[in-house]
Amino acid sequence: MNSGKRKNNKKERVTPKEFSEKKLNFTKITEGKKERTEEEELKQARNALLNILEDTEEARKIAVEERNKTLTIIQNFADGILVFDEKNNLELINPLAEEFLGVKKEEIIQKNISELSETPKFKHLIKLLDSFPEGKAIKSIFREELPLRENLFLEITTLPLIMESNLKGTLTILHNVTREKNIEKMKTEFVSISAHQLRTPLSAVKWTIRMILDGDVGEISNEQRDLLQKTYLSNERMINLINDLLNVTRIEEGKLLYEPKLAQLEDIVWSVAGNFKQEIKRKKIDFKFKKPSQALPKVKVDQEKIKLAVENLIDNAIRYTFPKGKVEISFRCPDKVIEFKVKDSGVGIPKDKQERIFTKFFRGPNVIRMETEGTGLGLYTTKNIIEAHKGKIWFESEEGKGTTFYFALPTEE
Amino acid sequence: MAKKILIIEDDKFLRELILRKLLKAGYKVSYAIDGEEGLKKIKEEKPDLVLLDLILPGTDGFEVLEKTKSDIEISSIPVIILSNLGQKEDIERGLKLGAIDFLVKAHFTPQEIVDKIEKILK
Repeated sequence: MNSGKRKNNKKERVTPKEFSEKKLNFTKITEGKKERTEEEELKQARNALLNILEDTEEARKIAVEERNKTLTIIQNFADGILVFDEKNNLELINPLAEEFLGVKKEEIIQKNISELSETPKFKHLIKLLDSFPEGKAIKSIFREELPLRENLFLEITTLPLIMESNLKGTLTILHNVTREKNIEKMKTEFVSISAHQLRTPLSAVKWTIRMILDGDVGEISNEQRDLLQKTYLSNERMINLINDLLNVTRIEEGKLLYEPKLAQLEDIVWSVAGNFKQEIKRKKIDFKFKKPSQALPKVKVDQEKIKLAVENLIDNAIRYTFPKGKVEISFRCPDKVIEFKVKDSGVGIPKDKQERIFTKFFRGPNVIRMETEGTGLGLYTTKNIIEAHKGKIWFESEEGKGTTFYFALPTEE
Repeated sequence: MAKKILIIEDDKFLRELILRKLLKAGYKVSYAIDGEEGLKKIKEEKPDLVLLDLILPGTDGFEVLEKTKSDIEISSIPVIILSNLGQKEDIERGLKLGAIDFLVKAHFTPQEIVDKIEKILK
């Protein structure tokens, strides 16, 4: 069958029934000498046409079937789905989306987004959609969480429906994350409560040993003092571990930053470095603090948290550098960021382990062999702190030669 | 005359330790094991200083603090929070409610606590 005939057929839209009627007309016309051949030709044409019609009918059936299949998928999809057309009218809503939003399809279908935004049930969702960059005519995907009502957390994804580079509408997906949210909350609460509960007996141990060491309950021998001193330090380590755990919990709770204020980064680093004086002296480390010649631009930071991040980095540099090694701190101030750098001549991070360095509870095999203390939470926490400040953290390292850690924080304009 | 300190703390052992330390430092000491008893004793005994835990059965430490600071009879008594809570929000909340200091138990030794008290009562 050639395409010319197909086009013709499309124009006329002849149904099989009409065709058989038309056949009669054809017969009338075909009177004459060449009746036979013409009749043959007509027969052929008729068959061809019938075939086309059959094909079209088949294609229509397949299309309907496909459409029904797609609709069935959408209707029964495990996520709520809304489709707005290019004029922002609601074109489609599936039952789960109706349930999430507490609406009936009949009442809202084909209504415009601006009209819907005035109904209480849609208000929050549309406000959220509006908050996505560039309104609704967006090019990429956006995700946000929406606490719709008590015990219903939705993750809203919206993406443009683009066909042949034309925007045909917007697809909005409502994914129920209530269960995940609850589990996350339980986990966080569990860690937080147990950490607080653990602190109480640890405080008791700390206080008791301290009081004995301070001679509050009588004289003790040097041997006793020595052992108790070590016990005291072990206990302090445990207290620090719990602090680390609490910090990790806070990161996961997403409320790590507390009232960021403008500050001089070099001053914060200087005060943190001061805490390491004794350890630097003990290990005879060649420690350099290169103070910038001019005051750096201020950065907006949660001081406590940045202190913790800097402390973790300096602590690592000193801890994993052998006695008489080098540690150097310096700053740079390229375009709109302040860069902090701490370079050590320590044991380094094995190449094949470098990609895991910022993961929770990770510790390099070479540092585990050194029998140094550590929870494997320091760099994880540090990275999260820096990123919560919209900064970046990275490093360069070579096993046996040393490591340099950097972080960059955006300056306040 | 020796100054009087009220300890509000539900953990028996911790209470005994700090009590012993304070007695040794020359203070008169009394204690309460929950928030309600604590509040009652603040009103009755009018101590010179209160050491207050936050997580207490029933009325918690924040509530005790709030009630103390809103009662004109006892609002001038300095309250030191001695707790194992210690997140910024807790500290901020405690200080906002009128606590004079916030000490995380696990981060201070008994001697350091006594030093803090001495400074305040000077």
